[in-house]
Amino acid sequence: MATARIEVMLCTGTGCVAGGAFRLKEVLEAELAKHGLREEVSVIPTGCNGFCGQGPLMVAMPEKIFYGWLKPESIPYLVEEHLLKGRPVKKLMFTPPEKKEPIPLLSEIPFFKKQRLLVLRNKGIIDPERIDDYIARDGYTALEKVLTSMHPEEIIEEIIASGLRGRGGAGFPTGIKWKVCRNEQKTPKYIICNCDEGDPGAFMDRSVFESDPHSVIEGQTIAAYAIGASHGYIYVRTEYPLAIKRMQLAIQQAREYGLLGENILDSGFSFNLEIREGSGAFVCGEETSLIHSIEGKSPEPRQRPPFPAQVGIWGCPTVINNVETLATVPVIINRGAEWFSKIGTATSKGTKIFSLVGKINNTGLIEVPMGITLREIIYEIGGGIPNNRKFKAVQTGGPSGGCIPASLMDLPIDYESLTQAGSMMGSGGMIVMDEDTCMVDVAKFFLQFTNDESCGKCTTCREGSEALLEVLTRITNGEGREGDIEFLEELGQAIKDASMCGLGTTLPNPVLSTIRYFRDEYEAHLTYKRCPAKACKNLMAFWIDPALCQACLICKRECPAESIYGEKNIIHVIDQTKCTKCGTCFDVCPPRFNAIKKISGEPIPVVERGIPVERKKKAPVPV
Amino acid sequence: MKNEPEKKQKIGSALVVGGGIGGMQASLDLAEAGIKVYLVDSKPSIGGVMSQLDKTFPTNDCAMCTIAPRLVSIGRHKDISVLTLSEVEKIEGEPGNFIATVRCRARFVDEDRCTGCGTCVANCPVRFIPQPLDGYADVQLSPETKTLVDNIIAEHRFRQGPLMPILQSINVAFNYFPEDVMKYVSRQLEIPLTSILRVASFYNAFSLKPRGKHIINVCMGTTCYVRGGERLMDRFGELLNVKPEETTPDMLFTLKSVRCIGCCGLAPAVMIGEAVYGKLAVKDIQGIIKKYRGNGHAPHDH
Amino acid sequence: MPRMTIEELRAKRETVRKGIYLREGEFTCRITIHMGTCGIAAGARAIVSTFLDELEKSRRKDIMVTTSGCAGLCSKEPMATIELGDHPPVKYIELTPEKTRKIFAEHVLGGNAVPAFALGIGSEKGG
Repeated sequence: MATARIEVMLCTGTGCVAGGAFRLKEVLEAELAKHGLREEVSVIPTGCNGFCGQGPLMVAMPEKIFYGWLKPESIPYLVEEHLLKGRPVKKLMFTPPEKKEPIPLLSEIPFFKKQRLLVLRNKGIIDPERIDDYIARDGYTALEKVLTSMHPEEIIEEIIASGLRGRGGAGFPTGIKWKVCRNEQKTPKYIICNCDEGDPGAFMDRSVFESDPHSVIEGQTIAAYAIGASHGYIYVRTEYPLAIKRMQLAIQQAREYGLLGENILDSGFSFNLEIREGSGAFVCGEETSLIHSIEGKSPEPRQRPPFPAQVGIWGCPTVINNVETLATVPVIINRGAEWFSKIGTATSKGTKIFSLVGKINNTGLIEVPMGITLREIIYEIGGGIPNNRKFKAVQTGGPSGGCIPASLMDLPIDYESLTQAGSMMGSGGMIVMDEDTCMVDVAKFFLQFTNDESCGKCTTCREGSEALLEVLTRITNGEGREGDIEFLEELGQAIKDASMCGLGTTLPNPVLSTIRYFRDEYEAHLTYKRCPAKACKNLMAFWIDPALCQACLICKRECPAESIYGEKNIIHVIDQTKCTKCGTCFDVCPPRFNAIKKISGEPIPVVERGIPVERKKKAPVPV
Repeated sequence: MKNEPEKKQKIGSALVVGGGIGGMQASLDLAEAGIKVYLVDSKPSIGGVMSQLDKTFPTNDCAMCTIAPRLVSIGRHKDISVLTLSEVEKIEGEPGNFIATVRCRARFVDEDRCTGCGTCVANCPVRFIPQPLDGYADVQLSPETKTLVDNIIAEHRFRQGPLMPILQSINVAFNYFPEDVMKYVSRQLEIPLTSILRVASFYNAFSLKPRGKHIINVCMGTTCYVRGGERLMDRFGELLNVKPEETTPDMLFTLKSVRCIGCCGLAPAVMIGEAVYGKLAVKDIQGIIKKYRGNGHAPHDH
Repeated sequence: MPRMTIEELRAKRETVRKGIYLREGEFTCRITIHMGTCGIAAGARAIVSTFLDELEKSRRKDIMVTTSGCAGLCSKEPMATIELGDHPPVKYIELTPEKTRKIFAEHVLGGNAVPAFALGIGSEKGG
């Protein structure tokens, strides 16, 4: 095949696939064939690019022009203009909200500009289903290096020196974990990669599997060599079918190349790797619970010590590392501990991947150096809050974490500072909330989650989460009692003190941190029966502002409860007795009218039926 | 159950029923007070439920630290006789003068000589064989089902930890766990049915009830929740006339919530089978259901 | 592919590396073929394939072949612009595959422009 002059890196991560990326690929290839460009332009399916909010998307190489929000209809034009005639298509490029000029170059888009890619070094650049692409990007050089020139002890010293800490949330130093395991007498030893990414709002592990599976395999093989393991498992959530498929393929390819299996690269070292699927239980992300799950036992956590590094799977010493941790290992080996430890803060080294989601303009996956401030993440990378709403808080660490308020915007992010702020690093979910998000409701949401996922072993976690949830539900329903907030605080602390595993000891965090920073919201619910964010269904109502309603009939047509009265030219009125508060009318009311209003804590204005619309000028009436 | 003698002097003895933490403390207090105590427990050993816990609510005290000294004191106390594997059959008499009849079951071990080494437990050949109960001593599966299940078992049985892969494959093949199949697996793997069910009922992806052809997983991750996932769930429930975790009578749909499918960029999202629908609005749902209803197959593109 | 030794892995890496140079490379030379409707009609497609062909043969990884729209001089198509390092760009006109090969060898690889085929040196003034 002749050299291609353009390579189109088409994102085929889960997000873009859901948006129709494979359909785009078909159309793209058909169009290229039509213009006879199949030889000159190659289409390379890549893993997740990270900028999921713009998906489906692609990047045209070598110029690195970024196209987002693609539709099959736009492909013919794109192929003819850019790929054939070389004129990049402006209207398909990324344009920041409230700006007019699009930004053509990937590297110039603020979302990408501030990032520093170590773990995601190959995202969007290689085809994750081809091992050759990974090898071409210096893949497996680290494995080569350790097998030829490093003693296992040296590797462990290097990792300790680099300051790498577990990226799964707790932040235990990786090198120390390896050392403990290596020093155990008992054999065989095992290494497990934990991809049971249960935190809602976090998807970096999935993304690494989908965009660069070999980096995990390489990291895990190096870890196995360092601790003296000959067998490893990859434990992955069943909710990630694409990630599982790509990882299976990668393992198979690595095996064929002799990078896994017996006598790797003729070095005498053997390592086998197999995938085990979870089946949808959050607690399985806890390491002892994960071990029980693979063993086929009831996946409840057990008391530690002994730590898995001493007594783990099948009773043997076992290291369990997070996906991101393992994918960082080859980088450290290649570039050295000294180089790595220069990135980040005093206690937290390197970079961390966050999934930036929620009420934010640029949703997606970002990799940033530790120590970056929230402000940089939210306003520079994330592009701020949509619709000019006010930023209220960011939730980090999933159900184990807490909410960080706008007042702590300049907090440099590392393990310690987040813990001090009442949250935690967790796996790296970052859910941005604006003024329309009710903090009590958010706390309730997380409690529902943990209450559901509590394995039931410890009374405090099982019954305690139930009791917390009951009180929170009461508050959001407007039936809160005096002393409820104090009760939540006291019970929360008791649960923290008395539970055994990570799930129980952290489950009160969302409640405690929201009380700490947003006590006034709790009090508004309790005392004034008012939800300041107008989100709690029982404390709010929708009504149609007669001064704004243009009687266009859209909301009446869409209302699933048929609770809207109105005719053409007659102002619409919501029948509050029928309204289920589903919010459909609020969504469908054309923004230029903006007539549907939310109201909380005050009486709903009574609007008589049958008032005709007063039109100032010719107001357009959509049909 | 304490027999108070005629308030003059400490004579006779006391019977404590139940050797949990309460019973143990009562026995010790009585014995310290100079009364001969008989501590009866139906289990092979005293200690009760607390011995299975590691911490106690709400003080977070270590359970073992609480019971261990009491176990030792009771074992050593000259005035406490422990009757394990025993049950009180009847009690006659009046306060101050009871006569209790206790049935001590045989334990086939000479307690005076046993050192508690545990060798007999490890070597007992019948320990792990499930006790066949009436009704499923011989499970009859239809020939096709049997072949299918046999193949699944054969594929995984020699792996370390075969239960999860087998359950996952069965879940894929049947969409739920039929009772007979579970019993059959239990017999084949020689794992008690209760243990299998304990695992099977733990995970969200498994079901013991038949499920619909299309499983609608409404994402209830944080982002989807913040962006209105709950409303999607309500709308699905309304249109399909089922509650979450229920199946439509035509066995076409099962409605479920799932904890984050990792498509937060597309919130709110729904996964049907393996297809993900992102950025959904309440009004899109009717159309989606229609697509699946139309031909009974998953629509190709969306 | 059979199982590899370290030497074989290294050799493999060298071979596959050139397959992805478009995605990561630093480019010292940029060849732009003008592909407006006029250019395509005049045979610009053949020029693109010739450049690509030569590029393949040269095994160079720092050369980018790209296309752009009409250069505004439709009668002289097919045209190409070559930007080499810090030198001012050179526009070549009325290209044929033979001329293309010569330009590639002498200008792109050799560093000496081929005045015989060139329209001129330097770009139009902006503004």
